[in-house]
Amino acid sequence: MKESNEALKEYGILIALIVITIFLSIITGGDFCSPRNLTNLARQVTFIGILAVGVTMVILLGEIDLSVGSLVAVTGVVAALAQVAGWGVVLTVFVALLVGAVLGIWNGYWISKYKIHSFIITLGMMVIARGLALILAKGASVGPTTEAFRKLGGASIPPLLSALLIFACFLLWLGGIFYGRKKQKEYGFALPGRFQEIEKIIIGTLVFLFIGWIFYSYEGIPLPVVIFALITLAGIFVLDNTPFGRHLYAIGGNIEASRLAGINVDRVKFIVFVITALLSAVSGILLTSRLDGATPATLGLMYELDTIASVVIGGTSLSGGSGHISKTIIGTFLIGTLSNGMSLKGIPTIWQYVVKGLIITFAAWFDARTKKQH
Amino acid sequence: MNAPPVLEMKDIIKDFPGVRALNNITFTAYKGEILGLVGENGAGKSTLMKILSGVYPFGTYEGKIILDNKEVRFKNTKQAKSAGIAIIHQELNLIPQLSVAENIFLGDEPLQWGILDRFKMYNVTRTLLNRLNLDILPSETLKNLGVGKQQMVEIAKALRTKARILILDEPTSALTTREIEVLFRTLRSLKEQGVTCIYISHHLEEIFNITDRVTVIRDGATVGSAPTRELDEEKIVAMMVGREIKEMYPARSTIKGDVVLEVKDFWVAHPFRPGEKIVKDINFSLHRGEVLGVSGLMGAGRSELLAGLFGAFPSDCGGDVYLEGRKVVVKNPGQAISLGLALATEDRKLLGLILQRGVSENISLSSLKELARFYVIDKLKERRINENFVNKFKIKTATLDTPVMHLSGGNQQKIVLSRCLATQPKVLLLDEPTRGVDVGAKVEIYRIINKLLEEGLAIIMVSSSLPEVISMSDRIMVMCEGRATAILSAKETNQEEIMFYATGGGKNEGE
Repeated sequence: MKESNEALKEYGILIALIVITIFLSIITGGDFCSPRNLTNLARQVTFIGILAVGVTMVILLGEIDLSVGSLVAVTGVVAALAQVAGWGVVLTVFVALLVGAVLGIWNGYWISKYKIHSFIITLGMMVIARGLALILAKGASVGPTTEAFRKLGGASIPPLLSALLIFACFLLWLGGIFYGRKKQKEYGFALPGRFQEIEKIIIGTLVFLFIGWIFYSYEGIPLPVVIFALITLAGIFVLDNTPFGRHLYAIGGNIEASRLAGINVDRVKFIVFVITALLSAVSGILLTSRLDGATPATLGLMYELDTIASVVIGGTSLSGGSGHISKTIIGTFLIGTLSNGMSLKGIPTIWQYVVKGLIITFAAWFDARTKKQH
Repeated sequence: MNAPPVLEMKDIIKDFPGVRALNNITFTAYKGEILGLVGENGAGKSTLMKILSGVYPFGTYEGKIILDNKEVRFKNTKQAKSAGIAIIHQELNLIPQLSVAENIFLGDEPLQWGILDRFKMYNVTRTLLNRLNLDILPSETLKNLGVGKQQMVEIAKALRTKARILILDEPTSALTTREIEVLFRTLRSLKEQGVTCIYISHHLEEIFNITDRVTVIRDGATVGSAPTRELDEEKIVAMMVGREIKEMYPARSTIKGDVVLEVKDFWVAHPFRPGEKIVKDINFSLHRGEVLGVSGLMGAGRSELLAGLFGAFPSDCGGDVYLEGRKVVVKNPGQAISLGLALATEDRKLLGLILQRGVSENISLSSLKELARFYVIDKLKERRINENFVNKFKIKTATLDTPVMHLSGGNQQKIVLSRCLATQPKVLLLDEPTRGVDVGAKVEIYRIINKLLEEGLAIIMVSSSLPEVISMSDRIMVMCEGRATAILSAKETNQEEIMFYATGGGKNEGE
């Protein structure tokens, strides 16, 4: 009983995602599960997903970032303006990232240097950045962009190459498991049970096969999905394997103890807010490319809410110190899947809001309940 | 004690996932007595008291609670409270911004026509405070009172709800000697009024000073119960740990090495009062293989001195600090660690540990740089090193990843020490290294200290326990009001002399 509770807590969100997927596949007569729809779904979630990687780090620190949606808007507008002005793709991307970095430095500076709560500073930035986007765009949509730029958010890696790429990743993953075992043996540690490892390999293989099937059967892996995957993997690696990642958890868990343990708390906070703003710029660039232009009033509107919802649904604690990017990604897919499925069924957007809100509430309740049992 | 007991807890069994915390424990208390409840950390004292005060409701444990010959089944703390059972926790449950009276009536404010009846509130509060012989104004804002008086307010709060059984969990851990006296006087007068007090403490001196009877529990069961006057310290300790502890303070044979740290005219500014200094004119030198004890009353500036040396104090510090002959200016803890200093703080939970993270992560938190190559942590190396610490210091934990909040105080302290040592320090600063640690773990921590000294480490140890500071130090610096009033040789001094200097005796003499 207790063990099953643990498992439910650990995998609850994943199970929910699978159940919803199956449910949607049935009620849409299999349309949901088609490679075409799933490829679109993957493309749709990237914009929020990239933001959620950064915001997970912010929330792990016990902070919050409300400005990501507006940062998407302002960097998107900057990219669109650069395109209209005839700048090259590289320069466009560079300028948009630069704007993101500068605004992130602004956030990080106030929060770390003057110890002002991030809620207020990023609330300010949310308004500032939206205003800047409107000023820069003179209130109107900016576009169109060039064909080369549109490829960033629109192009795909050809199906065959995609399949090969996924196969290469599979081999790397498999190699990693065996390398880890060898290393552990060298150090003389007890190895995880053989049965467990085989289970892991079987499940992993199935997941890779599924992903390979989706992208091979339709149009290959969309470029933004590749970027999203790289960012996510980098984020997971940083959390698990670097001092910086450990520091995030430590600061979120106990800021004073972290300071006394020699961690430069202010620097870590500063870096996290800059990273998040940079990721917002990446998302802004991809979105502008995908939409072939930027509308300052609506680009990235309410994205901060979807992002925070993804992080929280993924089980990252708002008080900081526990959670993970890998779980956030599942949260992102959960929200994305719901939106996608409801659109497929023709449920009006206004009702989708209500359902999303209910899901957030339910996720928070579930989290609180499992915590209480502990 | 021929009268029937006011409280009986019979055959109580309480299970937690994987552990049986209480195993058929039986516990009895009589009217108007002060009963000492002692046992090592994890023995089950807190769990037992949580059952009694309704934190663990009826149904989550087996056994019976009999109050005045009637079985009671508390569904929550409120029911326990209305049955006359009040618990005063180590951490006070008061709101600093509210007044004394408002705190005493918190959650149960008297109303008249739906409006707060301040008159009644203040009146009742005054009566309660008088009953405790306390000189506190009901309108005083709580945060303006010292910790000792705040605790009295907590007791007054308990009495207002007509508490007949008052549970005090480590009530003196934040009190000065004088405040402890006031507390004891209060408890004695309560006893005369027929209130039963259950007094939980690690300090055996206090147990002997205040209690009428002592119940010792170990591993979730009662080991014995006897009138205090029939017991002595050795007997209680033997009952607590289940064996006799021959030498509380293990002997060591270390040779004093060369000077590793020299501090000249060190001062720390007062954090709230501009222009004042909380630590002033501190001069000492510290040798390899030596423990410099720092003794003094609460507020003498001992912790502030350590924090200042470590670059962790928020306000300005000054003076000259030489580490191995080189002048150093420590600006922050990170720099202090890389210079070879390490600090084990007084308050492990608040300032030492990341409670929800695992044992291993907590140990390596300060030494990640050494464990990483190109910013990537070598996790296997980390695991090997941390496993070593766990084995060497006998840290009792299920796995390396068990969150440290599930560990006992002694094990937590060993984790803090491991973290300090993982940075390979030259000077170790220990602030109350055995506070809240049970006897068995204390001895182990002393052994660790001795081993470190043999390896050539130099230690500065702040401690409020005079026996500890005398037995474990080579020299003792006594502080009073921010100044060092004496540096004594531990072998030639005694508790009286230390107290003399700690209360400013030396200073008056000099003037």
